[in-house]
Amino acid sequence: MRFFAALLLLFFFAPLAHPQARRLPTDQTAIDAGRQIYLGSCSGCHGATGEGSQGPSLLSGRASRLSNQALFSAIKNGLPGTTMPNFPMADDKVASVTAFVRSLTTPAIANRAPGDAARGEALFFGAARCAGCHRIRGKGGHPGPDLSDMGVERTLHQLREAIVKPGERIAEGFRAASATLTNGTRVTGVAKNHNNYSVQILDKSGRLHLLRREDWTALSVEDRSIMPPLADATQADDLVAFLSRQSLRPYAAAGASQ
Amino acid sequence: MKQQWMIITIAAAAAGTLAAQVTPEAIVKSPGAEWLTYHGDYAATRHSPLTQITPANARSMVAKWVFHVEGAKKLEGSPIVHGGLMYISNTNALYALDARSGRKVWYYRAAGAQGTRVNRGVAILGDNVYFATADCHLIALNRMTGNLVFDTEFALFAGGYTTSIAPLAIRNGILVGVAGGGSGQRGFVASIHSTTGKENWRFWTVPGKGEPGWETWGGFPAEMGGAPTWTTGSYDPALNLIYWPTGNPWPDFYGGRRPGDNLYSDSIVALDADTGKLKWYFQFTPHDVWDWDANENPVLIDAVFRGKPRKLLMQANRNGFYYILDRVTGEYLHAKPFVKKLDWTTGLDDKGRPKIVESKIPTPAGTKVCPSVRGASNWMSPSYNPATRLFYVVTLEQCDIIVASAKEPVPASGFRGTGNEGIPTEPGKFYLRALDVLTGDIKWEYPMPGPGIMWAGTVSTAGGVVFSGDDDGNLVAVDARTGKDLWHFSTGQSLFASPVTYMVDGKQYVTIATASDIFTFGLFE
Repeated sequence: MRFFAALLLLFFFAPLAHPQARRLPTDQTAIDAGRQIYLGSCSGCHGATGEGSQGPSLLSGRASRLSNQALFSAIKNGLPGTTMPNFPMADDKVASVTAFVRSLTTPAIANRAPGDAARGEALFFGAARCAGCHRIRGKGGHPGPDLSDMGVERTLHQLREAIVKPGERIAEGFRAASATLTNGTRVTGVAKNHNNYSVQILDKSGRLHLLRREDWTALSVEDRSIMPPLADATQADDLVAFLSRQSLRPYAAAGASQ
Repeated sequence: MKQQWMIITIAAAAAGTLAAQVTPEAIVKSPGAEWLTYHGDYAATRHSPLTQITPANARSMVAKWVFHVEGAKKLEGSPIVHGGLMYISNTNALYALDARSGRKVWYYRAAGAQGTRVNRGVAILGDNVYFATADCHLIALNRMTGNLVFDTEFALFAGGYTTSIAPLAIRNGILVGVAGGGSGQRGFVASIHSTTGKENWRFWTVPGKGEPGWETWGGFPAEMGGAPTWTTGSYDPALNLIYWPTGNPWPDFYGGRRPGDNLYSDSIVALDADTGKLKWYFQFTPHDVWDWDANENPVLIDAVFRGKPRKLLMQANRNGFYYILDRVTGEYLHAKPFVKKLDWTTGLDDKGRPKIVESKIPTPAGTKVCPSVRGASNWMSPSYNPATRLFYVVTLEQCDIIVASAKEPVPASGFRGTGNEGIPTEPGKFYLRALDVLTGDIKWEYPMPGPGIMWAGTVSTAGGVVFSGDDDGNLVAVDARTGKDLWHFSTGQSLFASPVTYMVDGKQYVTIATASDIFTFGLFE
């Protein structure tokens, strides 16, 4: 009897364990196909890049933490009790959409960026002047964050946001700072750290100023980045493509340790 | 000269901006106000010229700041201090702190680095700081920004290699070593160019087939030999010789498959700093079956020995003997036990070779041996004060039961020829001991009651105070001449690191890493 009950349960729940959800497509064609479906069916509620609008963001919060299986199921069957409807598509299409949504929160290097990486590299070290403040593998300037491993540490979406809207999220340790010292000297750069008793400012020449309360007469640490936004969408795409390839170690090795 | 240099450094630090690059010459003079290598000095005496804290005022020391290292479970590093910044490492991570306030200035995490082994510290040279990840990458970062300069893989994690080494900067080379004595990798010391990240040279501590010393392994594969290089060596700039300590042969507790002395395990190898060529070696425990790595610090001291000025090398070895060698030639000069629990040998011959007590060779049934596998001392740092002529070393009085197995060894499988267990009725006891530097006689000792788990070492100061961690989580200050305790502070954590001392803005500080935090002390003001 127990055996039959177990068989029945197995029969009943087996269809829910979509085999395709366990192994999502990794080829770019399928992910691009998923993107097209997403733009047509999902972006109205979740935003063009998963940032959320009427529906929740897919980049953070509960949606970003769903397992592949749960995400697949939510797309195919909907979420009862919420406004998320079901999308009765063939499983391979659901898997493509699932793979695309996953790509929004996986490291940039694991995905194909739409821009041209070679043009992005030329921009980075040339016209866009990124290398005036940032470094990649020892090449570039100060005092911005080192970008040598950005393809692993950020998603494509995060890279793009950081380029086109740098003020929206300030990396800790990179707030615009200026101090007037007791001898009248002015120090400007980014505050690596600060509190009521000390501030550590890194200036544009890469010099670090370790200041204590008695060292300054005026101090300003602002809730803004000193990085200017980039307006040109094509250039942003190209830079994202270039940065998405920056990894200090083979990506597979990085993935293995996570 | 040292005094003058100190004043210049202090003035630069007081200006609030970071001082100049670290030159090889500055490292030769370290420690002054700053602490520029893992040991503080190339000679590994860990003796600071700072005199502000003395036996008279040490009791007024207070905590100045504490920095919590997120996620740390077992910090084992000695910090480096330069230009007002303190550099500390944890597994696959490096922090730069304001040395006066403990405020974090920058942080580097090696994303994707594998392995969880502890990390013992940092090297500094030029505008770079260097540390090694657990998966054997040497990472060079800009000392002010933490930006990456290079990332060089020097051994394959996939091949079983891992490391905990604090690198050592010598001229244009950053020296690294590896673990592997307990897992069957072939040890080596490598010098990596300080600006290009390219390898200058590599010395294998197990000779390859047909090379001198290969015959001491009875055909056992060199690739599995062990003789790891997991602690930081010392350096004599005048002789241009590096003294690097090596660890045990593998498998640790069964020697039947590796008949012979197993060179260069459990040795000091003296290497030419420019080429890595072997100048001489001295092996403390030939054909080791007790896991007595010789990875204790090789301390370089110049002294008149038996009426003749000599360049000496001292080591308080894990096997229980305090050794004195001639560091020009490697000649054995003297040895004396520095623990009472020592029963594996009836003594050393006139070349320093031990006469083994056959009944102390581990068997499958288990053999009681003294000292224990952890050793009479270990990698916890000793120090030496030239004014007292005393060598300060943390010692462990303990025996173990060691069990041997002739099972076929498989590298990186966890097999060590079987292992050791403590004797519940004879728990280990730690003592800080002061040895007469030229005889090894114990002049005083400071008992350190506790659970028997510490790995903390010492730092000596010209102020006449020795600082050490103890087995109960205290940083203690004792009188360098008498061993009288002057001050202690309970950190509430176990200690696995050796303290350092430095000066910024004219104030002397003492720092020790606890299990998960960095504690810094100074005089009350």
